Amino acid sequence: MSMIDYDARPVTPQVVLVGQRASAAGYSIRDFLSRNGVPYEWVEADDAGRVEQLFTGGVDPAQLPLCILPSGERLGPATVEGVATGLGMVSVPRLSEYDLTIVGAGPAGLAAAVYAASEGLRAVAIESLAPGGQAGTTSMIENYLGFPQGISGGELATRATAQARRFGAEILLARRLVDLTKDGPGYVAQLSDGTQVRSRSLLLASGVDWRRLEVPGLNDLLGSGVYYGAGPSEAVTCNGCQVAIVGGGNSAGQAVIRFSRYAARVTLLVRGSSLDASMSQYLIDQVRRIGNVEIRTSSEVVDVEADAHLRAIVVASRGSIDRLPTDALFVCIGGVPRTKGAASVGLALDAAGYVRTGAELSVPADALDRWPLSRQPLPLETNVPGLFAAGDIRSGSIKRCAAAIGEGSMAVALVHQRLAELSGE
Amino acid sequence: MITEGPSKKAIAEFSELASEQQLRSLAEALGRNGVNVSLVGSGEEARDAVRSALPIGAEVYNNTSRTLEVIGVAEDVERSGLYQPLRPRLYQMDREMQGREMRQLAASPDWVVGSVHAVTEGGSLLLASASGSQLGPIVSGAGHVLLVVGGQKVVPDLEAGMRRLYEYCFPLEDLRAKQAYGVPSGVNNVLIINKAVAPGRMTVVLVNQSLGF
Repeated sequence: MSMIDYDARPVTPQVVLVGQRASAAGYSIRDFLSRNGVPYEWVEADDAGRVEQLFTGGVDPAQLPLCILPSGERLGPATVEGVATGLGMVSVPRLSEYDLTIVGAGPAGLAAAVYAASEGLRAVAIESLAPGGQAGTTSMIENYLGFPQGISGGELATRATAQARRFGAEILLARRLVDLTKDGPGYVAQLSDGTQVRSRSLLLASGVDWRRLEVPGLNDLLGSGVYYGAGPSEAVTCNGCQVAIVGGGNSAGQAVIRFSRYAARVTLLVRGSSLDASMSQYLIDQVRRIGNVEIRTSSEVVDVEADAHLRAIVVASRGSIDRLPTDALFVCIGGVPRTKGAASVGLALDAAGYVRTGAELSVPADALDRWPLSRQPLPLETNVPGLFAAGDIRSGSIKRCAAAIGEGSMAVALVHQRLAELSGE
Repeated sequence: MITEGPSKKAIAEFSELASEQQLRSLAEALGRNGVNVSLVGSGEEARDAVRSALPIGAEVYNNTSRTLEVIGVAEDVERSGLYQPLRPRLYQMDREMQGREMRQLAASPDWVVGSVHAVTEGGSLLLASASGSQLGPIVSGAGHVLLVVGGQKVVPDLEAGMRRLYEYCFPLEDLRAKQAYGVPSGVNNVLIINKAVAPGRMTVVLVNQSLGF
């Protein structure tokens, strides 16, 4: 037994990832590992000493990023799917049919998984990246009920995942929904690796993708200094850097708090004239107290300067133009609902692409034209019977973690009603 | 500053495997002190005993322990997917922003698995920790305690146990710490468990094989 246990690092070999910092593929894998709580060592490909220790004779650049799994197996060029499979994180559905398929394992999806499984439903959740969704990357949620000292999004996601699994819910990781078809009164979800999941009902809880910032050249730098969202994997790499964050909501505020601890300076760029309308007050108060943070309202990124990596951003603010040396830009400007995978079932969407449910379906005149039942859609039910939506993807939802959890929990009660209807009770 | 391992005298005194009779007597003594005991013949059997004891899905903190590494228990806990290992989870957490969460998790796991530095023939267990973080859960924080103890750790009494700790274990651990962390170790906190009062909470897997330090 050892007398030092300061850092509690795992004692077994961890994942080693070798690549170039300015690599979108490397960033995707780092992001995946961080969000899933898998410790890893990142090795820059030009760190000759460390690379030689790992690979006698060096590495072939065409094989980057390279991944050494704890088993010793080497993958190159590594992909998220390959690494996930190598770590044993990709499982097959245990059942030929479920009562409920949940698309997305963010707060809404995990809550639904917990309630569904705890109430005896055969439930499976499909998650493309990591349990927790957007909330899972939040460094500290201070206003979620029951946690007076706050709780990190990652920890909340970890506990919820353990809770869901304890009740018997399955979680299929590293795959996304690519198509959805009706199978009688039920559904068949087609996943990105060819897996098919059959169920009697389905809950869309896939949240949103980050809205893209339309600035010339910016999206070419994805992973090379430009990032959507503010995942934990890049925080440590921003030590001493100049960081800029675009956005006025809570996600942007949480990102400021996280990165301010590592970066030399963090500049928060907000298009609006103030943060009051978009950010929770406790976050505004915290952000304002941080010494190395500058808040610029009425400001927008209009251009970028880069070689292989971002070097500077150009900011327009109240008629003036500024060039800011920037090593990393994190864009947190709201979301585009992830409905593409379910497009073929003909979901009714609002003008912004969010999924209409319940009473919202009576708003556009034709939303229920093909509604086959004598009853009205249940709350959270879409225009397709037995297909529900919860959380950020849903039109009119309150974009807060607690609201998403509430909707995911509520959806299960409605699923029970639907299942009873199918059983002819 | 210690730059070498233990002396030849310490090695001779503290690395010898106890006899089978001594281990059986020790098992009885531990039992009288409220400790459940599983007496096994090898590290492999010890690993099986740990697997049998840990419920699937249990939240487990595996203490830093050469014994656990050598017999594969550390790997079972951290990599098998059968349990909820706390070490990887803690490693990923932010010490500054999640310090309180980390302390709570590390201080009161459902299960703590580790070893000891010495066990007296009378059934007292001795452990040292530089930071002290490993001791609290064993004493009272953890729901269940599982200690794998190699037979070379048996000593006649507490005085010999403390000498084993200072003269044998500490020099070995100090060398290891400098190699692993670049910093020396220290006998900063010492725990002596004479009796386990919570029925069923503490189990020792006593191994008729030299394991660890």
